[in-house]
Amino acid sequence: MIGMRKFTRGEATAYGYLTATLVFCLLPFLWVVLASIDPNASQFLAFPEGITADHFIKIFSANKGGRWFFNSLVTVGATTAIVVVVGGMGGYALSRSEAWWKRPFLYAIILVRVLPPTAIIVPLYKVMLVANGPMGALVRSIVPPDSTRSAMQIFGFVDGYLGLILVLSAMQLPLALWIIKTYFDLTPRDYEEAALMDGANGFQRMRRILVPLAMPGLSAAGLLCFIGAWGDFLMPLTFISSAELQLLPIGLFRAFQRATRVDYGYLCALAMLYMLPAVVAFGLARRFLVQTFTGGIKG
Amino acid sequence: MTMTYETRMVWQNRLLLAPALVLLACFILIPAGAAIYISFTNEALSGFAASHPQFVGLKNYVRLFSDAGFWNSLIVTFAFVFGSSIVGQFVLGLASALALSRPIRFRRVFNAAILLPNAVPEVVAGFIWISMLAGGQYSTLSRIVGLFGFAPQNWLESVPLLMIIVVNTWRGIAFAMILMTSGLSAVPAEVYEAARMDGATPQQIFWRITLPLLRPTIFLYMLVSTAGTIAIFGLIYTLTRGGPGGATEIIGIYIYNQSFTAYQLGYGSAVAVIMLGVSVAIGAVYARVLKVQV
Repeated sequence: MIGMRKFTRGEATAYGYLTATLVFCLLPFLWVVLASIDPNASQFLAFPEGITADHFIKIFSANKGGRWFFNSLVTVGATTAIVVVVGGMGGYALSRSEAWWKRPFLYAIILVRVLPPTAIIVPLYKVMLVANGPMGALVRSIVPPDSTRSAMQIFGFVDGYLGLILVLSAMQLPLALWIIKTYFDLTPRDYEEAALMDGANGFQRMRRILVPLAMPGLSAAGLLCFIGAWGDFLMPLTFISSAELQLLPIGLFRAFQRATRVDYGYLCALAMLYMLPAVVAFGLARRFLVQTFTGGIKG
Repeated sequence: MTMTYETRMVWQNRLLLAPALVLLACFILIPAGAAIYISFTNEALSGFAASHPQFVGLKNYVRLFSDAGFWNSLIVTFAFVFGSSIVGQFVLGLASALALSRPIRFRRVFNAAILLPNAVPEVVAGFIWISMLAGGQYSTLSRIVGLFGFAPQNWLESVPLLMIIVVNTWRGIAFAMILMTSGLSAVPAEVYEAARMDGATPQQIFWRITLPLLRPTIFLYMLVSTAGTIAIFGLIYTLTRGGPGGATEIIGIYIYNQSFTAYQLGYGSAVAVIMLGVSVAIGAVYARVLKVQV
């Protein structure tokens, strides 16, 4: 047959397999996408009879969803900032240090990375309860009584932002330390030493030399931290109980679990909004993913 | 008296690492240690034992051995890890990596489609699969099999364990594919060339060349994926919460239910210690495989 390319058997198998896999991977998403624009959305897949943007508009108009989104953004944003700074400092030290504890510390990081959060959630809860006592006393001694509650919502260890942010940071830190350490291993010390000779102080060396040099490593660590913390379910489920502090995953989960009057269109729009930052971050971090499990970030 | 440059650097490094160490110690290492301690007490979330926890020795561990719920969760966890990460994700991930290593059209589209399930948060994955599987005749899967004349079912109740294996396979193909692709790209093209010159069939090339050369990658994948799958919580919690009747109660869910639903912190911690032991063993092998460069 002239003009028609003949498929080899291998190619035909590859296309057939990939098409089947594509359907398997994407089919479940069809419902959430269609329901988010369907005025009569239900829990099940249906072709929408009309198209509406109401569900999305509702998120930002006096509804809980906007608040959940804001809460998630604040806690996960703060977590990412802490992890990049603390991980950046620690990763640099781990790379440059020649102390005896370096190797044990690196092995410990690998072990900590595989510890399942569910296995430490109970003692972690107790640690947070213990820490909450002195923090409560401190807050009561500083702020006037009528604003104690709102202050504890920010600085509390249990049912407060600070506690959740610190816990999420600790969970994401091992990977960040690992990535940043490996990245600094690949950056030559010559620049730092030259700057030192020129009389630059520690802060100048950091701002002018180290941070710009380490930018790819820091952003990889930041992206992966964001993805991990944004998707985390166990920590907000365990540590946040106030409705007004609820994060997106738990708010969505509780609303979805209700027995009656579930607004599926609205929840699907919210789920789309929740997915978006995760998918974008994943796309950006994609090229780093292999190295996080096999070594570090290269290049 | 001033410090030498070396001493200053030593202190600078210690100081820079201190915040990271404090975070890890307070929120991971101390809790992990406390889990071991609590597992030897009768600590509870409410009731008399909550205010007066007592040391009970190995009682919690002895109870484990005769507790059907614990053995059930071990078996479910094993089936879940084996079915989804060792078989499902691995086979489909390797097949995807092999198919995409060919010069194929729409490669980016296929690639993105396989990556998407891995990118979405666990809760969203749970929602969309509830719509796929629950609700009898209305679920997407029931309607699909209905086209072939099969009766509709409530899949999360008739075959719950198989379904969570399918869902987790769906979610993890990407991870296996990414690792296998990097493993495949390390195999020099000449090796395949030479085999083809010698008249090897595609099957022979796969079993005699590709698979043996991928062995280190596969081993690394099995370690990381097993550790990751044991740790899964949110995906199963949103789908089934461990039900019906414990059929999908993987170990993480079992610990959570024992601790926060049955309020038995001491007993829950004994289960957690077993889980920690398994994970640390996997982590120790993983650390050896990585051959940490100092």
